[in-house]
Amino acid sequence: MRLPIAISEQSAEPLYYQIEVQLRALIISGSLQAGTLLPSIRELASQLKCSVITIKRVYSDLEAEGLLRTKQGTGTYVSHVEKESREEQKHSVVNEAIDQLLEAAERVQCTKQELEMLLKEKLQHYEP
Amino acid sequence: MGEYAIELQDVKLTRDHFALGPVTLSIPKGYVTAIVGPNGSGKSTLFRMIMNILKPHQGSVTVLDQQLNHHNDDELKQLIGHLPEEATSFDDFLKGYAKAQFHAKWFQNWNNETYQRLLSILTTRDDLQLKKMSKGMRRKFDLSIAMAHHPKLLLLDEPSSGLDPIAWKTMIEVLHQYMENEDHTILMATHIVDEVKRLADYIVFLVDGQVLGTYEKDELLQSWSTYFIEAPSGGTFDPHLMPGYCEHKVVSSGFYEIVCSNSFEAERWLEGQELTVRSKQILELDEILFQHMKKARQYAK
Repeated sequence: MRLPIAISEQSAEPLYYQIEVQLRALIISGSLQAGTLLPSIRELASQLKCSVITIKRVYSDLEAEGLLRTKQGTGTYVSHVEKESREEQKHSVVNEAIDQLLEAAERVQCTKQELEMLLKEKLQHYEP
Repeated sequence: MGEYAIELQDVKLTRDHFALGPVTLSIPKGYVTAIVGPNGSGKSTLFRMIMNILKPHQGSVTVLDQQLNHHNDDELKQLIGHLPEEATSFDDFLKGYAKAQFHAKWFQNWNNETYQRLLSILTTRDDLQLKKMSKGMRRKFDLSIAMAHHPKLLLLDEPSSGLDPIAWKTMIEVLHQYMENEDHTILMATHIVDEVKRLADYIVFLVDGQVLGTYEKDELLQSWSTYFIEAPSGGTFDPHLMPGYCEHKVVSSGFYEIVCSNSFEAERWLEGQELTVRSKQILELDEILFQHMKKARQYAK
């Protein structure tokens, strides 16, 4: 199986982080359903042209969050994510992004009114 | 079982024209480690020492938890697959299958099915005399022979020399499959940047017989960048202040090109400066090697 994950070499974000964010989103959004068998560590590393050290870190981080579970000898599966905790996870992902947005706005000294206007503009075109 | 497949402890070997070491190096079990270095840096010498063909003048070599000596040579070689840099020539007159039969006698774990499967995946054959094989055909045959006894450790010296791009891709796949078993380890020497990118988990820089560093591949490749930076109009700044600074060029007044070995720190630092980052380029592996060599040679002076 090929996972729709794209990494950017130029990005200042570490590779493991880039992969983690995307894989987490795939699980939380339900694109990857509970029980799905993920590629082996070596396989995903070769698909993404990164090292197994990076993938090991991603799998173990997401396992610690309860999104994945590893069965000895058979592989790594997507865990069953409860509906409430899915909502919770969803909000925490978005909240984190909003914090970054606020930081960026502060850096360029964007006023509250400006920010509100920009957000409203974007929201008009938001159709998930 | 230890966590390292190979351990070199304070190993030194001196010849008239070449000195290796002292080298202390650990190759982790279950991973692919690439030794990268220019010609004559000691890569093949290192391989020959691990194969117990060359004896170091000092220090010890431990392979798969056993320190090399006279008594465990046979036993250890059963567990190792070795693809030397140059194909052997003493057996040129043999047909491929005759050489395979010899290996089958010698290696207890030789598996003919695996051997045949490798020949077919790699699209090579064994019904020719070795000297009549083309370079690529011979390379693929030698790799099949090196892997047919299910070794725990694969030593690959410039594995892709003589392979065309399609054969190269197949070889990479074969090696990835081999690594699916977490008990397997690959140590390879290579010049080819793409090969390191596709295969390696760890990178060791070996230059002039010295280890200049061991790194996690992804971390290393993300750490090195060139930044094009503009100081505020008319101003200047001291590029040496940037974290991970290696070298710089002044492109024009107030405009700098800076090579840096710590992108994460550098970018955090840049956020707090009145500087404009015009662009960023990551360094390729060969450029990173070059920076290491420059630093080492400066230091040697």
